[in-house]
Order: sequence, then C-alpha cells, then structure tokens
Amino acid sequence: MTRTLLITGAGGVGKTTVAAALGVRAARSGLRTLVVTVDPARRLATALGVEDLGNEPQPHAGEPNLWAAMLDSTASWRAVAMRHADPDVATRLADNDFFKAASEHFPASQAYAAADQAATFVQAMAWDLVIVDTPPSGGGIDFFAAPAQMADLVGGRLLRWLTGGPLPGRRTFYNLAAKPVLRIADSVLGSDLLERVAEFLLDLRTTYDGVAQRGREIERVLSSSSIFVVTTSDPAPVREAIKFYRDLPGLAASPAAVVFNRILPEEWADSNAPPGTSLALEQNLARWSAETVRQRDTREEFSSRYGARIATIPWSSSPPTDLDGLGRLLDESKELPWAEVGIS
Amino acid sequence: MLEKRLVLVSGKGGVGKSAVSAGLALLAQRRGLRVLAMEMGSPGGLSAHFGTGPLEFEPRELRPGLHAMQMVRSDALLEYLALQLNIKGLTRFGPLARAFDALATTAPGIREIITVGKAIWEVREDRWDIVIADAPPTGQIGSFLRAPVTISELVPSGRIRVQAEIMQEILRDQTVTGLILVTLPEELPATETAETITWLAKENVVATPIVMANRILDELADPGTPPGPVGEAAQLHRALWSEQQVWLDRVPPDHLLPYLHGLLTPGEVAARMADEFELIT
Repeated sequence: MTRTLLITGAGGVGKTTVAAALGVRAARSGLRTLVVTVDPARRLATALGVEDLGNEPQPHAGEPNLWAAMLDSTASWRAVAMRHADPDVATRLADNDFFKAASEHFPASQAYAAADQAATFVQAMAWDLVIVDTPPSGGGIDFFAAPAQMADLVGGRLLRWLTGGPLPGRRTFYNLAAKPVLRIADSVLGSDLLERVAEFLLDLRTTYDGVAQRGREIERVLSSSSIFVVTTSDPAPVREAIKFYRDLPGLAASPAAVVFNRILPEEWADSNAPPGTSLALEQNLARWSAETVRQRDTREEFSSRYGARIATIPWSSSPPTDLDGLGRLLDESKELPWAEVGIS
Repeated sequence: MLEKRLVLVSGKGGVGKSAVSAGLALLAQRRGLRVLAMEMGSPGGLSAHFGTGPLEFEPRELRPGLHAMQMVRSDALLEYLALQLNIKGLTRFGPLARAFDALATTAPGIREIITVGKAIWEVREDRWDIVIADAPPTGQIGSFLRAPVTISELVPSGRIRVQAEIMQEILRDQTVTGLILVTLPEELPATETAETITWLAKENVVATPIVMANRILDELADPGTPPGPVGEAAQLHRALWSEQQVWLDRVPPDHLLPYLHGLLTPGEVAARMADEFELIT
C-alpha cells in the first residue's frame, strides 16, 4: 500500500523544502520514499539530486530509500490528448493552430500534467510513500480541480451547446454552423475562425472517453491522499491556505495540518532588550518582536476560525543546502502529524 | 508612473503585487487624480488592501476620486461585444453570449484579450486619469500581454483583429502604458523576474518594465551579538540581509521597498506602500 502525501500552498512559502525535508525523514525511518517536486530552487535540486533529471524517479546516490523526480514543467495536456487520440486525429491536432496555442496557454495544463504523473507514481506501487510538491498555481487548488477541468474542456462546452449532447458527425456540425447566430459570430471573428475552432474541438472530443477515465483514476488517487498545506504568516499565502478549508471539500480530504513555515521564536514576542543594548540592536529586536506577535495572532486566528491543526517550522537563517540540512530542518518543528507520513 | 494612463503591476505570486497596486492607487488618489484600480486576476488581493468587501465588475467609489473594480470575464465579454464590436441586444444568458463565452474558455488569446481589452477600453474613456491594474502573476502575464498579437496571428480579418491591433499600439506606447514587476530578493522570485524581463525584451509587446524589490531589510549598524533574543534577532536579521544582497546584485531593481515588520492588516500595508511611493515619485 502506497501512502500519498500532497504538499500544497502558495508559491514562495518553502513548500518544496518542506516536501524534501519530510522525504529525508521518512527515508531515514526506513520507508521507501519518492519525493516529486516541481521547479525547485537550484540548491534544493542539488541536495535532492534531481538537478539534471527528467520525469523518471531516480534513487538518491547518498541516501538509501530516497528517490526523487522532477515533474517536467513543460509537460502539458497536449501530451495527454495525444495519448488518447487515434493516429490520424493526433496528426490533425498537431497541425491545428488552436491546439498548439491552447496547449501552451490552458491554465490548468501544468496542474493536470503534474496530477497525472503523480498518480502514475502512486499506482506503480513501488514506494511506501510518495510525497508530491504540488504546482503553486491557484495555491494548489488547481491541482485538484484539473482532472475535471480537463474532461470539461475535452468534452467541449461549446460543442455540446452547438450540437446538444452526443458526439456529432462533422456534417451535423456544419449544418448547424449555418445558424444565423453563428453567421454573426463569423463576421465578428473573421472568416472560418469558428470553423477551425470547431474542427479542433471535434478532434479533441474523440479523446473524451480516454481522458475522462484517466481523470477519474487521478481523482481517486488525490482523494485518498493526505494533505499538508504550507504557508508563511503573510496575508497572501494565508489567503491561499484558507481556500483549502473553504473550497476543497468535495475535491479531496480535509488537510491533515496547516504548516506555518518561517516561524520566529515565541519568546521574542515579550522580549525587551536589557539595559546597555545599543539602539540599533534594541530597535532590531523590537521590530522582530512585533513580527513574532503578528505571526502568533495569524496562527491563532486560523486555528479558531477553521479548526485547523496548526504545525510550525522555525525560520532558519540559512536555507538547507544538503540532505543533512534538510533532515535537521524539522528537528524544531511542532505538531507535525507524523502519523500521516507513516512515521511513528 | 503616475504620468501614465495605464499601469500594470505584475510579479510572482506572494511578492506583494496587490499591495503595490493598492499603494500606487492610494498615492494617485492623494495627488488628486481620478483613479480606477482594477483587479484583473482572482479576487481577494486588491480588495483586501483597500479594506473593502468583494469588488464587482461595476466600478465602485471607495473614497473621493478612487474607484475599484473586479474583472469578471462574462461581464467584460458582454460589454466588449456591445461596445467595441457593436453587437446589440445581448443578454448574459442569450445564445450568442453563451457561444462566445464557451469560445472564450477554449480558444487561446480570447480570454486574455477580453481582460486586457477591458483595461485599455477604460484608458480610452475620459472618466479616469489613470488605470492601475493588479495584473496576473508573472507566470501568466506573458499570455495576457501577448494576447493582442496572438489574436492578430490567429484571426485573419474582422473587427476583433482591428481591435487587437489598436491594443498592441497602446500597450507598446511608453507614454501611455507602464509595467511594474514586483519581486523579492530571493532565489525563485528573482529568477522568475529575470526570465520575465528577458521575455519582454524579446517579444516587445509592452513598454519597458520597472522592477521594484519588496521586503528589503536594512543593514544592521551594530555588529554585536549579545546573548538572548537581542543577539538571536540580530543574527537572523544579518543572515537574511546577506542573502538578500546576493539576489539584489543579480537582478538589480529600480526601487527598493522596505520590509514591514509587525503590520497586521493589508490596509495598513497599502497605506505604508503609498507613503514609500511618495518618497520615490
């Protein structure tokens, strides 16, 4: 049985570092662990040994039980659609301007590709624990919504409206395109634009069954995963974290914890500089003390309003650059739900 | 920046883009300009900094001279069809509006051009001296700024193409449009900012950006590390300060914005931002 842990949260909060640190801990406790990251900072990529790696999980040279994989950030639903398309459809799609442009710009594209790859690793049953550092778009919510969005896109809202349900033949569509409404649209959009969009959608729609089925598999993996939401105490990432308590229900399980990263020592909150301290150092303590108070208030409000389990990780003045540093990062953490990771 | 008619504020998520947008809008308002602040992306950031409830598509006056609105794609689409393309008699749930809405979710460039187009449309109105847009994050800003070009490439003729060409001119005009990239002196935001600057230089779709680095710490004047919290706080401050210098050197910003310690509400943050801009403009 492979346990899955999804590390979500806004960008820039140290999500990847937390995912890697949990991975090192789990590996050292004897669990065969795969850490899947997206776009890690260079130093962290080096520490994990994923600097030059592609999608394939690689065993870590210095740490038995630890594997790492980096999700290809350029992977898109282009590849997904192609995988589920017949050869001649695939060729037509590859030549279609809209498919090219849409596969570059569809916002949930990266989230979907990441969810798909992560699910593949979980289904491989080769690890005790798969830790997934989710892409930051939409604070990670996109990751959960992506399979349904993908099916919706391929299912073709425009096409369904035009044709009223079942997969139409090409002839049916062009008869409908003679509707006055569509002639107006054509005059606005320029000649044959709608036709080319329709062709793209028709071809894409033939992939619907495959894509939808895969989407359901991915959703099953996601909904049985544990979730840690990582945030700092800043308002923007906290707003993203709140979404996991407000918007997630239905898409996945409730988060096991919200992990506040970069936490200042509690005792700074009520500290005053002793007599004889220079003005510079006294003022410095005062501002970091104010920051400590703000952090504490933020956590208390989060906990009382959303009933969340709050875990904390101290603000380390030097970001970890190697495996031992990652292993130590969580030494001073508090309230992390280790049981969810499979560590007693 | 306050001499422009349209200022777009972008940056990697979490760097303080909404705070900068709100601060700039507050300063413009203090100076007596008629301001429209527009939340282009997902709701929440800008309205939090103004301390108002959720914003709507229809601009609302928050204080004398300062209006704010939330971009809502379906509303903007109807407005675009009616005003720009002269298609009358549309209702939100009418068949043509629904067809366009479905098209806008699917066809590349259309969603983006409606968003950018709304901002440009407001600039061409005489209601505002300046439109300040809390734009999508740098990860997506490229597809928004490039949308008029994308449309021109995909659409061979028709009114949308004409509109797209007008938009390109306005975005490229240095005297009309400004772009602010907000960043932090940390690895990922600095790297993403550098990549965005390179991309912008290559694509030439918008005026040259100015870079604002946020949460800048000042150097501690006293090198001492006494025992207890005083010394611990000094140590943390120095370590963070040196780390910041590395990234400030690699991606040199045009302006520095200070780290605001212990401020509680986004409203306070926006007001402090406005004070800072007062000093640099």
